[in-house]
Amino acid sequence: MDLLKNITEATTEIFETMIMLDITVGDPLEENVSSFKCSVSGVIGLAGTCKGMLAVHAPDDVAKAITSSFLGMEVEEVNDDVTDAIGELSNMLAGNIKMVLDEAGKDVTLSIPSCIYGEEYSMDCVADAEWVVVPFTIDAGTFLVELQIKSA
Amino acid sequence: MGKRVLVVDDSSTMRKIVSRALRQAGLDFDEILEAGDGQEALNLLEGENVDLILSDINMPNMDGIEFLRQKKDIDGIKNIPVIMITTEGGADIIGEAKSLGAAGNIKKPFTPDKIREVIGSVL
Repeated sequence: MDLLKNITEATTEIFETMIMLDITVGDPLEENVSSFKCSVSGVIGLAGTCKGMLAVHAPDDVAKAITSSFLGMEVEEVNDDVTDAIGELSNMLAGNIKMVLDEAGKDVTLSIPSCIYGEEYSMDCVADAEWVVVPFTIDAGTFLVELQIKSA
Repeated sequence: MGKRVLVVDDSSTMRKIVSRALRQAGLDFDEILEAGDGQEALNLLEGENVDLILSDINMPNMDGIEFLRQKKDIDGIKNIPVIMITTEGGADIIGEAKSLGAAGNIKKPFTPDKIREVIGSVL
């Protein structure tokens, strides 16, 4: 399984087909990020023969730009539309990863999307999990897609 | 009376995007109704006539599979075609939806062209 390739391709496809924003893929981070400031994080839990989580972490301005383009309307503050849109973005990405895992013989169930936002917050890692964090850049700034996964 | 479609998804973002994609696809629905989960859709269908249902699978309260299971036994709505719109394109879940009467499947992310193609094959 090339999870990095799948995250990159799935994110690019979503931005090209549904969000309609130009996007640039960066090199995967060498160290994980667990603390965020003035950001929005959409999180999907993975359970079953693999467990872990997929998350999209976007600074407020980036989250608002994604939401504005997603919905075709101006968004001026982090509101329910923004948290729902970032949650749905993480949901679509997790659905793609689930398909890859299913094809590899894993049996994975996805949670309903959750969203965290605020001036400052932290997220703990899944213990002993493999992880990959990929930065993507749009005009408004850079956001991260993070996958943590561990065989049960 | 013109055609009416019901969009069932717990994400308000996705309901808006599906509604926009229907318009961009040039499909001539006169009215687009919305429900946040399967139970809300069943409640709405007690008093509303629709020609097509577009439903997510992974939803809280009542998911799309249970919605199909209950709908197929309710006179008056059991013959309304349902197209699933889902993040999970796995054969198992799509097969289960088909066995419960789903008429088609659209995987997210989708384009207006894809929506038009699948709806055209159902209506």
